Amino acid sequence: MTSTVMGEEVRIVEKEGVKHKNPIVIEGLPDVGLVGTIAASYIVERMGYKEIGYIESDLFPPVMVVHEGKSKNPLRIYGDEGVVVVLSEVAIPVGAVYPLTEALADWVKEIDSKLVISMTGLPATNRIDIEKPEVFAVGNNEEALNELKDKQMELLEEGFIAGPYAVMLRECSKRKISAISLLAQCFPVYPDPGAAASAIESLDKFLKLGIDIKELLEKGEEIKLKARDLMRQTALSAPEMQKGVEQDMPIMYR
Amino acid sequence: MGIERRIIRTTWGYDGNLEPLYEVEDKEDAILVTFDLPRVRKENVEINTTENTVDVMAKMSDAVCWERWGSIQKRISFQAFRKQIRLPEPVDPEKVSASFKNGILRINLPKVRRKVLINIE
Repeated sequence: MTSTVMGEEVRIVEKEGVKHKNPIVIEGLPDVGLVGTIAASYIVERMGYKEIGYIESDLFPPVMVVHEGKSKNPLRIYGDEGVVVVLSEVAIPVGAVYPLTEALADWVKEIDSKLVISMTGLPATNRIDIEKPEVFAVGNNEEALNELKDKQMELLEEGFIAGPYAVMLRECSKRKISAISLLAQCFPVYPDPGAAASAIESLDKFLKLGIDIKELLEKGEEIKLKARDLMRQTALSAPEMQKGVEQDMPIMYR
Repeated sequence: MGIERRIIRTTWGYDGNLEPLYEVEDKEDAILVTFDLPRVRKENVEINTTENTVDVMAKMSDAVCWERWGSIQKRISFQAFRKQIRLPEPVDPEKVSASFKNGILRINLPKVRRKVLINIE
């Protein structure tokens, strides 16, 4: 492994020999409905992406995850030359959000990513009555907005956004990297594979990988069962993450 | 919370029950409790309420079985969700209503509240 140190607090470590060709970086960190986490995990599984690195920090809980007898960092990076997926199996503490997104944005700049796409949820109080969740998008610059219009994505016109994906948009702007957030209507505190499926459908307009969401929907109930504990951890940090502000209306000064 | 409880904070039991994810909302005149109950059918949900508690028992349509489960490292299966919630305010158990859709159970528990109209002098 070769270590790429990005500041003192968060370290992004890539395996030796990993090559990137202007990749699209997909971020799927735990947030409302675990939309990003479920979607990112499914993409990694479907596409057979290999683990290419991990993220470590003293700001994260002192937790490792064990898979098939081997300890692993809960925040890992998967992908190939053209696509990179960042996911986490633990909730991100609010104090780690800024250092993590800054380090990620630095790294994204270094690997010369052409676009960063965060997948997340948009809490919908009437989610129970929504058969197929809609996906709304936010861009961080004109180029990103043009990309969204080109793909006929529905824009989140007004509102507040909060959480790692919101800060990621800003950090990418500062580094002149185009970034997009895809927000699928979701249950705020229940894992939502249906919302993750909608987010993947929208994402695929950019990736064009032909990801079939059938299995995700079929295994929805099993995913919900497995995601209970991460959802519980994530929901506990939601107030600190100021997630409630997403339901507020901003005063209209442009 | 005792030290042991803080370390061994399980959301499952050896009795085959899982604790469901749930949310309690105060809706002024009522308390709305929702539960996420994957693999459960409406006819297998049992709800019991008192003035201060709501108790939900929901059998899964087929048991979920995990190999080498977490800290016990043994095969374990779960057949049902079970949770008792202590309500923040007394409710009227006779007026409770519930609905179940797409694995989400919603229980509306009207509060016991005697309203008195106050005249302004």
